[in-house]
Amino acid sequence: MRRLLHEMNPSMKFLAVTACILILAFFFNPWTPLLFFTGVVLLQLLLSQTNWKLWSLAMLPFLIGAFGYFWTTLVFGQSGDSPVLWTIGTIDITVQQWELAWSLSLRVLAFSSISLLFAFTTDPVHFIQSLMQQWKLSPKLAFSVLISYQFLPVLQKEFVQLQQAHRIRGTGSRSSTFKRLTESRRLLIPLLAGAVRKAERAAFAMEARAFTGEARTHYREITLAPKDFVLFALFSLVLTISCSAIFWT
Amino acid sequence: MLEPIFQVDDFSFRFPDLLEPTLRHITLTINPTERLVITGPSGCGKSTLLYVLNRLYPHNCDGEVSGAVRIFGRLAQDYDSGEVNRKIATVFQDPDSQFCMPTVEEELAFTLENLQVPRQEMPQRIDRILHLTGLEDLRHGVIQSFSGGMKQRIATACALIMEPECLLLDEPLAHLDPLTAKEFISWLNHLQQKSGIAVVAVEHKLELWGSFFEREIALSENGTIRKDQLFTERDAPILPDRTSAIREKVLFEASGVCVSYASKSILRNIDLQLQSGEVTVIAGPNGSGKSTLLKALCGILKIDAGTITGMRVGFVPQSPEQLFLSKSVEGELAFSGNSSAEKLRHLMTALDLRTIAQAHPFSVSHGQKRRVAIGAMLADERQVLLLDEPTAGQDLKALTELYRQIESRAQDGCALVVVTHDMNFASSIADKVHLMKDGILSGPYQPEELFSNSALLAEYRLHMPKKGDLYAPAFA
Repeated sequence: MRRLLHEMNPSMKFLAVTACILILAFFFNPWTPLLFFTGVVLLQLLLSQTNWKLWSLAMLPFLIGAFGYFWTTLVFGQSGDSPVLWTIGTIDITVQQWELAWSLSLRVLAFSSISLLFAFTTDPVHFIQSLMQQWKLSPKLAFSVLISYQFLPVLQKEFVQLQQAHRIRGTGSRSSTFKRLTESRRLLIPLLAGAVRKAERAAFAMEARAFTGEARTHYREITLAPKDFVLFALFSLVLTISCSAIFWT
Repeated sequence: MLEPIFQVDDFSFRFPDLLEPTLRHITLTINPTERLVITGPSGCGKSTLLYVLNRLYPHNCDGEVSGAVRIFGRLAQDYDSGEVNRKIATVFQDPDSQFCMPTVEEELAFTLENLQVPRQEMPQRIDRILHLTGLEDLRHGVIQSFSGGMKQRIATACALIMEPECLLLDEPLAHLDPLTAKEFISWLNHLQQKSGIAVVAVEHKLELWGSFFEREIALSENGTIRKDQLFTERDAPILPDRTSAIREKVLFEASGVCVSYASKSILRNIDLQLQSGEVTVIAGPNGSGKSTLLKALCGILKIDAGTITGMRVGFVPQSPEQLFLSKSVEGELAFSGNSSAEKLRHLMTALDLRTIAQAHPFSVSHGQKRRVAIGAMLADERQVLLLDEPTAGQDLKALTELYRQIESRAQDGCALVVVTHDMNFASSIADKVHLMKDGILSGPYQPEELFSNSALLAEYRLHMPKKGDLYAPAFA
């Protein structure tokens, strides 16, 4: 049970997540996103092994964003002529503003929760392999994504090394943040030049191992099983219940 | 007589952006099970020839070609892209940029997927190659977490799983420490005997290979074949002897230096004293903390404990261009603003940079880049120079130039620290040697005493090649 979301076919999961986000965009009320958020967290609680500490950390920026939306809508939103709920100082908060603020901020949370569900339960390599196998993504495109995924740590190491080398030339440490930003363009050119060189070498290494971008067999077969359709239905159920909020509120 | 693998007939090759051809009138035949090495000075077209043999060139660079290359009796241009690479496998120089999957097993499978091997067959073939190469324990290991030596073995396994008839190696030892390199060679020797494939390598550090090769093709500077002969075992080239320029004055002193990163101790209690005119070599296995030490000494990394006193310290990374900030060599030296115009002129002359004063520092040769970096450090009043792995991947000509450069800086009264794996180079340049392992610096040792102590060298994964002068003049 606790591995179900991890084992779900990644392409199917991606389809479910994208569909949910697209459909949610048409519902603008506080209750739909609230229900959806609760449903998604519940699904993730029951059907996955999530590191919730990490999840909370990843959620934090979205939470701050949501609060920002909430607050600015309350303060600067168009008041219209709906009845005033409270008055804080010189600011009148109307019923309409109150609802608008909740709708906006909960929507941020709903979108981020479903995206995080995908990110926390999907291995990027399996996702790409699934796209190749289920959706016939071209191997050339798929492997360029996979290889750049391998390069990220290498590039990061290179960036740190460049930064350190430049520190000894006296840039960076003594200057202001603004100056540091303008100086970072000096890092960009050698970094990009290095990346281009590495990319060429990687391409050679792949061709030397008979990679042509043509049809290929797959060592890790990623299949579509009945459980993937059940899980898809489960996502649809959560979505339907949340959307039906417009009928009973 | 078996059919030859390669038949190259009067082949010339020119890169589209160069005026002169890189390879001229190459004619050679390579037979199955042969062990062949291609040698020659840097930039003579060794690697280009290797890339012609595995058909990456001219296909990928629009080079201009004349003559013919036949692979298994068929013209190279008649093959489809990637087709010939099923029989001709290649291992490249840079262990970091030849993998595209996270684990060893997936990487091996990548090769099989390219060959469209049915999925049911893959596990057996992966088992077989892991057994053949002795890498069974690494099956589920994450490639990026392994050392350079292991990565080269994995790359070789990934090449051999194709069951090729020829293995091409492009300076496979350039990034390995000496003992790791020797271990790789004896491992490869064993593999070649078991599988019987042909091995064609590009290499200039021949002393490490012992009697591995049977035949040598030496290219000359202008890209023609100079010699096609039986391979004879090489001794390390002799570098000139040097009289020490040490002066009394202590320029730099570090004591009790400790550095830790993410609560892991990387440098422990380092003591180091450098005198004016002194050349100090630091050696030790990959990952022992040598680069971290240099960065701590020049103030790039914060030290947790200990004291550093003395003159300001300059740092020249393995790729000197990492330091460059200006659009011209002249500007690079003037960047710090710590030197008078008079002194800058003097430095430009001393470092032989006058002729390239207006060139972009990224566009000059590797040796020139290093001189520009040294110049920039000296112009910034940094008399203590730390050189990180300046010998890696350098041919004898470049080593000799580096040697002269270090020698004259020492005579000027600088203190130099050189981190290197090349014990032959170290033994002729060093005034004293420190060894490093697991973040602990031992020594100083006198070079004569250390280089005759093979047990101590082996403990630090170092190796002193046999010295001789028989072949040195051929390169110098």
